[in-house]
Amino acid sequence: MFLALNEIKKNKLRFALVIGVLMLVSYLVFFLSGLATGLQDMNRESIDKWDSTHMVLTEESDKSLFESSMSIDDKEDVDAADVAILGQVNAIARSDDQKANVSIFGIDENEFIMPNVTEGEAFSADNEVIAGDGLKDDGFVLGDEIQLSSSEEVLTIVGFTDHARFSAAPVLYGDVDTFHRAKFGEAADQNEDHINAFVIRSNGESVNVENDSLEVIETETFIKNLPGYTEQNLTLTFMIYFLFVVSAVIVAIFLYVLTVQKISMFGVMKAQGISNGYLSRSVVAQTFILASVGVMIGFILAFITGVFLPSAVPVSFDYITMLFYGIVLIVVAILGAVFSVLTIIRIDPLEAIGG
Amino acid sequence: MTVLQLKDVEKTFGSGRKKVEALKKTNFSAERGEFTAIIGPSGSGKSTLLTIIGGLLTPSDGSVNVNGENVTNLKEKERSHIRLREIGFILQASNLVPFLTVADQLRLLDKVKKGNMNKEQLEELYNDLGIADLREKHPSDLSGGERQRVAIAKALYSNPSIILADEPTASLDSDRAYEVMELLKNETKNKQTTTIIVTHDVRLVGYCDKVYRMVDGVLTEEKREINN
Repeated sequence: MFLALNEIKKNKLRFALVIGVLMLVSYLVFFLSGLATGLQDMNRESIDKWDSTHMVLTEESDKSLFESSMSIDDKEDVDAADVAILGQVNAIARSDDQKANVSIFGIDENEFIMPNVTEGEAFSADNEVIAGDGLKDDGFVLGDEIQLSSSEEVLTIVGFTDHARFSAAPVLYGDVDTFHRAKFGEAADQNEDHINAFVIRSNGESVNVENDSLEVIETETFIKNLPGYTEQNLTLTFMIYFLFVVSAVIVAIFLYVLTVQKISMFGVMKAQGISNGYLSRSVVAQTFILASVGVMIGFILAFITGVFLPSAVPVSFDYITMLFYGIVLIVVAILGAVFSVLTIIRIDPLEAIGG
Repeated sequence: MTVLQLKDVEKTFGSGRKKVEALKKTNFSAERGEFTAIIGPSGSGKSTLLTIIGGLLTPSDGSVNVNGENVTNLKEKERSHIRLREIGFILQASNLVPFLTVADQLRLLDKVKKGNMNKEQLEELYNDLGIADLREKHPSDLSGGERQRVAIAKALYSNPSIILADEPTASLDSDRAYEVMELLKNETKNKQTTTIIVTHDVRLVGYCDKVYRMVDGVLTEEKREINN
């Protein structure tokens, strides 16, 4: 640490450049991580809020909520601690000049997926809905009457709830009848038993379904099968992992160049009896300091950027994930220093001092 | 007391037609408090001899004893310990770490040698070498003579039994060169170290107790009147 710190103090500009590059890489990693989390939240936060364990969909739906269609009476075939019915339809909601994609959830207000109300009140009559507060960003307010693209029905926002987005669209929670009218319009009466799924909270017990046309899947599996969810996550995760490799290569190149410039100095030190171990530890300590400072500044910058970004940008920082990525960045930077350590070990003090 | 003894030491490089005998059968010894010069033209083998004494090179044949311990066939790690404990190096070019102040150059040795010198001894070393005022300066702020004095301080740190100096005055003007030789001589006598310098500057041998000449890998002692 002694050599490492003193060299950094003496050559501030040179090491500031290394820190600057590491800071930019870590900033990008943290920002992409925030983007990945934000995009995940957009797809799944309403489901996460239910704290459910399983979903029951029809076998032939291929785990797609929209394609799944069953009867409320099928609930009798589901043996689980807590079961909630769920109807779902996508629509475009309009109110005056405001327009937004929404996902309408038909639920039973007495079941566990009934959302909390953060503003206004719960629905209590036909065509009343609790809206996800993301709609506020689109200009919707309490009392707005919403015209749906899929039917002639007009819904009224009587309350707002938080964390209510599904497949990147704000959710409108209403009762099952409201959902039927939104989905089927005049044909609602002919589909009064229709729903899309059952949501299960099992508390650890097994979930059994006595109906061959229904399939029980874990909630996480259901989420991973949401359209584009896994592909989007894999893309961002790949970019993040690639940045880890980039940062290791950058550190390796920088430190290698710095080490090569100091071969003669290291050779003299070795001639004086200073061990490979001491010199190698010094390079590793230096890398640790540079990477830690770079990652720290990158984190602060990402955080500040997140604060000033418009709410339309789906960035959400998960600090545990960021801490993990920060540690990985420091570790890969230290791996990048291995080339320099090997170079130091190979230095012949005799050649270095011109013997 | 004999500090250093070389018995029948030889060094050859390469093999077959490319074989070069850098050092022919050499016997050499040095006593405590003795200041020895090895002179000779470039390529004569004097630096090879110095690096064998310093444990940086292993001889092809013969043995090297430091303070009675045969160090000839020790592994690099053990030789590294011997260098750290028993030998101080002064090199032709400055052997200072460019980003450390003078005080930190010695502090570094203090760390790797696990604090062999107390504060009073360190202060004495600074004063003896006239570098007390240079403590906070970096090598780039020092003159050639000052840098070599600091290099000598590093070599003398923690009282090694042997000081090896390879052309220590090569980059200095005459006045600075004599000054460095005077310092080395005084430190050799005061601290009773064994100092061996390699030089091609015959004007400097007057400071030494013994002078050897190396020609084509053969070392012979020069008989002469000592007038210093």
